[in-house]
Amino acid sequence: MSCLLFSFLASHAFSILALHLTMSFLDQIEPLKAAALAEIRGAADLEGLDKVRVTHLGANGRFTGLLKQLGALPKEEKPAAGKLVNLAKAEIESALAGRKAELENKAALPSEPTDFTLPGRRRGLGRLHPLTQVTDDIVRSFRKIGFAVADGPEIEDEYHCFDALNTPADHPARDSQDTFYVKANARPLLRTHTSSVQIRVMEKQPPPIRIVVPGRVYRRDNADATHNPTFQQIEGLYVDKNVTVGDLKGTVEFVFKELLGDEVKLRFRPHYFSYTEPSYEIDFSSPLVKKMGKEWLEIAGCGMVHPQVFKTVGYDPEVWSGWAFGFGIERIAMIRYGINDIRLFYENDLRFLRQF
Amino acid sequence: MKVTLNWLKQYADFSWTTEELSERLTMMGIEVEGIQKLSGEFEGVVVAQILASDKHSNADKLSVCKVADGRGERQIVCGAKNYKVGDKVPLALPGCTLPTPAGAAPFTIKVSKMRGVESQGMLCSAKELGLAEDAEGLLILPPDAKVGQIFAEHLGRSAGDVVFDLEITPNRPDLNSVIGIAREICALTGQPLKLPVIQFLNTSSEPITGVVNVRIEDPELCPRYNARVVRGVKVGPSPDWLKLTLEKVGVRSINNIVDITNFVLFEIGQPLHAFDYNLLTAASGTVPTILVRHAVEGERFTTLDGIDRPLTPDELLISDEEKAVALAGIMGGRNSEIHNSTVDVLIESACFKPQNIRATSKKLELRTDASYRFERGCDVGICDWASRRAAQLMSEIAGGVILAHHVDAYPHPAAQREVVLRPGRTDSLLGIAIPRSEQIAFLQKLGLEILHESAHATESDLPVRVRIPTFRVDLKSEIDLVEEIARLFGINRIPATAPRGSIGTHSFDLVYDQLMEVRRNLASAGLFEAQGQTLISDGYLAQPPATGPQTVWLENPLSSDMNVLRPSLIPGLLDALRHNLHQKNQRVSLFEIGRVFLENQGQITEERRLAIALTGNRHNSHWAGSDREAIFDVYDLKGILEELFESLGLRGISFARRTDPAGLLLESASINLGKQPIGEIGQVLPALARKLDLRDFVFVAEVNIDFLLASGSNAKAFKALPSLPSIRRDIAMLVPEQISHEAVLTAVKQVKPQNLEAIELFDVFRGKNVPEGQKSVAYAFTYRGADRTLTDVEVNAAHEKVIAQLKQTLQAVVR
Repeated sequence: MSCLLFSFLASHAFSILALHLTMSFLDQIEPLKAAALAEIRGAADLEGLDKVRVTHLGANGRFTGLLKQLGALPKEEKPAAGKLVNLAKAEIESALAGRKAELENKAALPSEPTDFTLPGRRRGLGRLHPLTQVTDDIVRSFRKIGFAVADGPEIEDEYHCFDALNTPADHPARDSQDTFYVKANARPLLRTHTSSVQIRVMEKQPPPIRIVVPGRVYRRDNADATHNPTFQQIEGLYVDKNVTVGDLKGTVEFVFKELLGDEVKLRFRPHYFSYTEPSYEIDFSSPLVKKMGKEWLEIAGCGMVHPQVFKTVGYDPEVWSGWAFGFGIERIAMIRYGINDIRLFYENDLRFLRQF
Repeated sequence: MKVTLNWLKQYADFSWTTEELSERLTMMGIEVEGIQKLSGEFEGVVVAQILASDKHSNADKLSVCKVADGRGERQIVCGAKNYKVGDKVPLALPGCTLPTPAGAAPFTIKVSKMRGVESQGMLCSAKELGLAEDAEGLLILPPDAKVGQIFAEHLGRSAGDVVFDLEITPNRPDLNSVIGIAREICALTGQPLKLPVIQFLNTSSEPITGVVNVRIEDPELCPRYNARVVRGVKVGPSPDWLKLTLEKVGVRSINNIVDITNFVLFEIGQPLHAFDYNLLTAASGTVPTILVRHAVEGERFTTLDGIDRPLTPDELLISDEEKAVALAGIMGGRNSEIHNSTVDVLIESACFKPQNIRATSKKLELRTDASYRFERGCDVGICDWASRRAAQLMSEIAGGVILAHHVDAYPHPAAQREVVLRPGRTDSLLGIAIPRSEQIAFLQKLGLEILHESAHATESDLPVRVRIPTFRVDLKSEIDLVEEIARLFGINRIPATAPRGSIGTHSFDLVYDQLMEVRRNLASAGLFEAQGQTLISDGYLAQPPATGPQTVWLENPLSSDMNVLRPSLIPGLLDALRHNLHQKNQRVSLFEIGRVFLENQGQITEERRLAIALTGNRHNSHWAGSDREAIFDVYDLKGILEELFESLGLRGISFARRTDPAGLLLESASINLGKQPIGEIGQVLPALARKLDLRDFVFVAEVNIDFLLASGSNAKAFKALPSLPSIRRDIAMLVPEQISHEAVLTAVKQVKPQNLEAIELFDVFRGKNVPEGQKSVAYAFTYRGADRTLTDVEVNAAHEKVIAQLKQTLQAVVR
């Protein structure tokens, strides 16, 4: 600045008065600016800062006053002096804006320091029951291959639960030991399997049929780690022309791979169910099963719908064939999550429900 | 059903290991539930012969022997001196564990180097085998000992065996026998089944008519009764092999005669009974007559187990002319059992109707190996074979003389069933082509007889007529044969085919999605889904109303804890709250969607409901916040329901305070859809809450979700967003306490204020500056024009009307 001033002095000739005026004007800029910048730095809050602004740049502010004196300067010196004044003003304004931003941020900070490691305030989502989740996963994989969800009553009659499923009157499954009966005139019972829904649906709908049936079933077993009088099953029924054991295997493999992962191995083992023939039990093997010290774990039952069942619902077994397969939902959930006691599902302990 | 490896090998030739046999049986549908390896004594010790003996190059006291073990030669380092080349001695093979004193570590033989020379086993002394307290040198065996023989067998002691515990499905009664299992094995190996040859060595030609008669009263319940007599037996302990065989399959040895009947039962599956012939009473001047008859009303009978049992005509008895001697097919009687001085034995080998045996066995709670087999169906064709087999063994073991003649009452011999198989049907059901000849071969391997089989029949659709032997009671129709073929062909060989075909339909499919949506919405609202027991205790329920729906009771509950079907989901949720509070879960918010069961004038109905229960803190615990101590109140619950109803697209829901709070609730409201009650909401009675150890207030709601889903609508249509400004006017007023929010809304609606868009309650206050019996309520009214910006004047005019109406109808004092 002083260098600028000297060159300015050297290159022009001034009258003494004019020189005096100009010199005293220029001399005021620097102290005024320095005072303004100091006050800006010293402003403690936005309100104080605004006062500083008014003091210096307000309509009656000190710097504004200086600008007003500019008019009294000799004409030829005005541009240079004006330039100097405006430079100083810009510097003050910039300092004001900077300090303002600083003070604004300071004001916006919470009164207490923030600890980002403190726990957040959680609104808390609930969870679906693990059995619902597993059921839905199973339903979803069945639906991918064209199955519709069906249901039926839990209080059933002997016909739909047993007779129509080719379970003769003296079959062990009909022992009152296994079945709960309801105190009522017709002596209804609590369905012992979801297979009763097969009959209900086939009675009403003509083939083809492609349904998946989740639901509660009942067996007269005392509750222990692996039994609960109420438990849940899901079963698939597929009836169409030219349905084969190969189709049954293909679908079972698809569903279980969806459910238990691609590394799962399945084994079909001949078995007996009165309403399917041939009948199979399905075992599966996986790293998890091996960890349990076993080669195979039984997981489901299945088979080709028995021709007698078709005759009972009025389907021609020479035209239609089909398969059914079913399994326990608790069992899948227990395997999937490593749950060791079936009763946990029905206690509804939040510490349990929260885990899924 | 238990069988042992050694027993099976008497009838079937196979060379599978235990694991292979287990796998084969399992894949034939005979699940192996357990395998118990019975180590015989001296497991791993065989008879060996010393072929050569040389000095050990590094140890003076040792020698190096070459021995034959029956399979090959081994080099053994030995310290004994008492043998010579050619001697036969016990050899412990590597892996064999020798007996050690109690507490000492087991000593297992390994292939090892002894002073630089490998020793592949150990030659044993009597002491090392535990056969003597003290013995010097090797145990030298007699020269006739068989090289390679299992040492236990050489000594005549029990050798190792494997007991398989098999799960026999109820359709295959023929598999409840060792021969039945052996027959399946033979079907796999293709080798013939080796049935024991029955020859009578000691027979007498005494005519049976002078010994016993048989009369069957009801041939339907007893199609066949075979009686054979063995005279002059000596009752005593069974020989070791018989005792041991039975013990391995879990049968206690009694005496030789009874053990033989049990042996034959396990061998062929035919239950037998042995009577002491001389305890059968004859009518004077005649021979004893076995009468198969119904019990007489009020008759009592003491079974072998000493229990005196009351009977009815439903039960079938075996009797002589004076007294009952056996409960048919289930258990014999005390009065005719075999005892130590029995001399003459009558062998009963009969067949009874499964249903009758089952009913009796159930009714008397008496299950035996015999009843188990009869109720599943026995082979009516095998009675005589089994009787002859037992007689043969009795003669051999107990020294009896068999009467060559016998009685075989078999009034209507069963015709063998014939079933027609279309091989093409097998292919279409299995999804793979199995040649006709192969299918036939499978059936033949199972012992089925192929009839009228032309050698030229090659086309797969040419039917095959098959005769079913009597032991296969399960093979009744074509599909049964298809299953047999599938079993022998092997499910593993049937390729899996990808899912294909039609698309399923069912009306529930949509409901399922709606229910899942409701569940997810409620979980988003912070509720956890519960699943309660369907069966609950009636003790949980309030006194049922005198009229209207009633609780459904079980006829045969397991206990009084579970004696009714839930008429409501609330008791289950309250139980879950109790459980959670016991576990110190202080804030519990649960919902359940499930079925409830009600009886109404004899009709039992199931309906699906949604119930919610809240107790404890409104918010999850947190370290700051002004309302963190707040606890749930009824408005939390109502708010959840309101969100739910809105999400279901339900309109016209109202909550009406119940003036006659009934049931489990202290204060409650009926939830109505239009005029239809669809549920209730309220606060649980404090006494009940206390009983369940619930400390905070408990709020519950229950609605019929089926009805809600059916009444809701998911129809959605876009409404243009408002572009004109709105004007808000607030009213704060004092109203009498009994004026409800709904009354305010109704009053406002009555004056139909122009351009009123919304009315919102934003404060309710009681206390300072509000007189007793009054409350201060504050509402915000939003006015908006449909097509133009409203002026203050217009809004004021409408709003004044509202104020006037409130003052007039609700005695409101506008503040």
